[in-house]
Amino acid sequence: MSPEFLLFILMVGVFAAGCFLLKWPVAASMLVAATAGALAGGLQDPIRHLVEGTFGYVDTILTIATAMMFMMGFRDSGALEALTAVVVKRFHKVPSLLMILLTLVIMVPGMITGSSTASVLTAGAVVAPMFFVMGMSKVDAGALISLAAILGMIAPPVNIPVMIIGGGIDMPYVGFEIPLLLLTIPLAIVFALWFGWRKVRGVDQAKVVESLDFSTLQQYGAIKLFAPIVVVLVLMVLEKAFPRVLSLGMPLIFLLGTALTWIAGKRFDILQSARKAMEDALPVLGILVGVGMLIQVMTATGVRGFIVVNALSVPQELLLVMIAISIPLFGAISAFGAASVLGVPFMLALLGRDQIITAASLSLIAALGDFMPPTALAAIFAAKVVGIEKYGTILKKLLVPALLIIAVALTFILFSRQIRALY
Amino acid sequence: MKKHTITAILCAAVALIAAAIAGTSFLEARKQTPIVKGPGVSEIKMLSDWFPGLKGSPGDTEVYILRGAKPGASMLVLGGTHPNEPSGHLAAVMLIERAQLPSGTLYVIPRANASGFTHNDAQEGAPQKFTIQTPAGPRVFRYGSRATNPIHQWPDPNVYIHASSGQTLSGSETRNLNRGYPGRPDGTLTERICYGIVQLIKQENITITVDLHEASPEYPVINAIVAHPKAMSLASDTVLGLEMQDIAIRLEPSPVNLRGLTHRELGDFTDTLPVLMETANASQGRLRGRTDEALVLTGKDKWYVRAARLGRLYVPYDEKGHPLDERVGRHLAGIQELAFSWTLSHEDQPLEFEGLPSYDDLMTDGLGAWLNPPSAPQS
Repeated sequence: MSPEFLLFILMVGVFAAGCFLLKWPVAASMLVAATAGALAGGLQDPIRHLVEGTFGYVDTILTIATAMMFMMGFRDSGALEALTAVVVKRFHKVPSLLMILLTLVIMVPGMITGSSTASVLTAGAVVAPMFFVMGMSKVDAGALISLAAILGMIAPPVNIPVMIIGGGIDMPYVGFEIPLLLLTIPLAIVFALWFGWRKVRGVDQAKVVESLDFSTLQQYGAIKLFAPIVVVLVLMVLEKAFPRVLSLGMPLIFLLGTALTWIAGKRFDILQSARKAMEDALPVLGILVGVGMLIQVMTATGVRGFIVVNALSVPQELLLVMIAISIPLFGAISAFGAASVLGVPFMLALLGRDQIITAASLSLIAALGDFMPPTALAAIFAAKVVGIEKYGTILKKLLVPALLIIAVALTFILFSRQIRALY
Repeated sequence: MKKHTITAILCAAVALIAAAIAGTSFLEARKQTPIVKGPGVSEIKMLSDWFPGLKGSPGDTEVYILRGAKPGASMLVLGGTHPNEPSGHLAAVMLIERAQLPSGTLYVIPRANASGFTHNDAQEGAPQKFTIQTPAGPRVFRYGSRATNPIHQWPDPNVYIHASSGQTLSGSETRNLNRGYPGRPDGTLTERICYGIVQLIKQENITITVDLHEASPEYPVINAIVAHPKAMSLASDTVLGLEMQDIAIRLEPSPVNLRGLTHRELGDFTDTLPVLMETANASQGRLRGRTDEALVLTGKDKWYVRAARLGRLYVPYDEKGHPLDERVGRHLAGIQELAFSWTLSHEDQPLEFEGLPSYDDLMTDGLGAWLNPPSAPQS
């Protein structure tokens, strides 16, 4: 038994004991597990390693914290409720089309920013009340938002996992638009109909419209009330379209949007709202910090190499099976981490296939890491925006769609050359 | 005092202590380790002497000039483009400490991305330094990051757009020196360093530019020379010469569609003949096991041995590993062979080296035997 395997068992054991026996917060359990790994692994400067590991997520933490503030402000200003009323009233007669459109809307922030969290906390939060009033359950709404968010993260123009994989083999981010659209849009339509239309087609939508509250909309007007979300989306698009002219960064865009929510609709205590947002975000931010420490210690002690080489040790014919299992599992640490640590070696092992289709497909599987506990960013934040305390119920709903996503991605890898020949 | 308040104070105190200990080691990493000037060094300048826009910035870096006894061609050697690829930095240091030129001029930038030497990549678990024993005592060298320190250039955009081509890459590549050429005078710190290097090449009419790198053993372009089309003839002769010394090396053409790299942009934007050389470094790979000074120095790694048996690598890998002595030896042999091949076909513009250890010398004696003593006059 290798020392790396024993260290791995030790870290997993300490983490599990902290979480389940001692009922510590997940982040604290990770900190203790990483510390145990660093000490047992004999790292010379364990504190430096623990602190350094956390820096991998500084940008992500800033984005999540500010996005949560924006979402809370948009809700407290009354804009969220008003937007729901407007959209549902306009499209309630064609619920199937509405569901597909709303799913695509959730994807947009992820497509622009490459972040599933951005999708969930902006468009996902806006669309969730629309799902509710049309008759969807909170769990179904949360599952659809999570799915749309990770598909948005993979859909073009911005797909960070593909860029990470490409960076590992010096493949520029060129020519990925069509395969990424082929991988994501049909799945988005399927999930919209599966979770959305199937659940709302029996609901009397006329009655739903009657129950909508238009008072805030009438008081402030659509232009003023919806200005914050419009400004945030416009700034995201402008940043993408003119990166050399406008480069604000997502945290600043969300902060500007938050400030606008304060003056656009109902008056609310912005400090109180921001504090509530941070309280909600803190457990996830803590998990990211803990994950950073764990990755650093796993890498320094050789546990990461142990995992990667063992994943690559299967015969060539079982490689796809190992891809399907190991990349989502490693996504428990982070989807981007899975793309880097496992996506690149698997990509190198699959060099005989069409590289663009293969990398695009691997990125789709890597995105499933955002469903994998304990980080499970897409599922945790979807639970927050639909108002579910425990995100495990959403995860259960995501199991079959996740298998479908893996099946589609593997099919694309298997037939990469044939698919490439189609366009 | 309530119980949770006491807990919070305790946690804050522990966090502050951890921050102080880690912060001290991060600050320590900003101190440059000394390079001992050798007998061939005529002058030490700064990159800002060619591009004043870098003066006083963390991107400014030393340029060592070794002028030959007779005029001839010139060569620029870039070490430390990626400070987590130590053989490039060490080969550049060896040139500064040992080389003497009967003819021609050598420019050496041992820390091309000086900012990258001041930190480590988060979550890579790398050592901050490594030590080489010399007969006169230990010499310490920094093991840095592939990219510019975010303290000096932050934040990264989501997507990095290469300025002159519009090519898009992952946002973190914004801080990768070897994705920023030909650079911009008003760009990011990384782009300004690239611009400074391009100005040096243009103003000094550099004949040959050699960018020294390492690659992880699972990466296809390894133990290789990558050459711009106009440097292909010179690189071909060099490969033949190295093969005659029993140093197996591949020749790769610079890809047309991968932009921002030295072997592409320096060839397109200047008159120099650019080549890039790669050796096999386990300490930067994704398959590596325990990551520490020993791995950097010896290259011995049981997971890479296993990966080699599985057919997952692009270099032979056994229990002997690929030690730093071997990797520096390959780079130095490549540089000397480039100069030799050039001089063979350009007798009126010779470029000749003396005083350097051969590949066999380094494999026999080790790097420490050829580095200057740490107590000698330092730059």
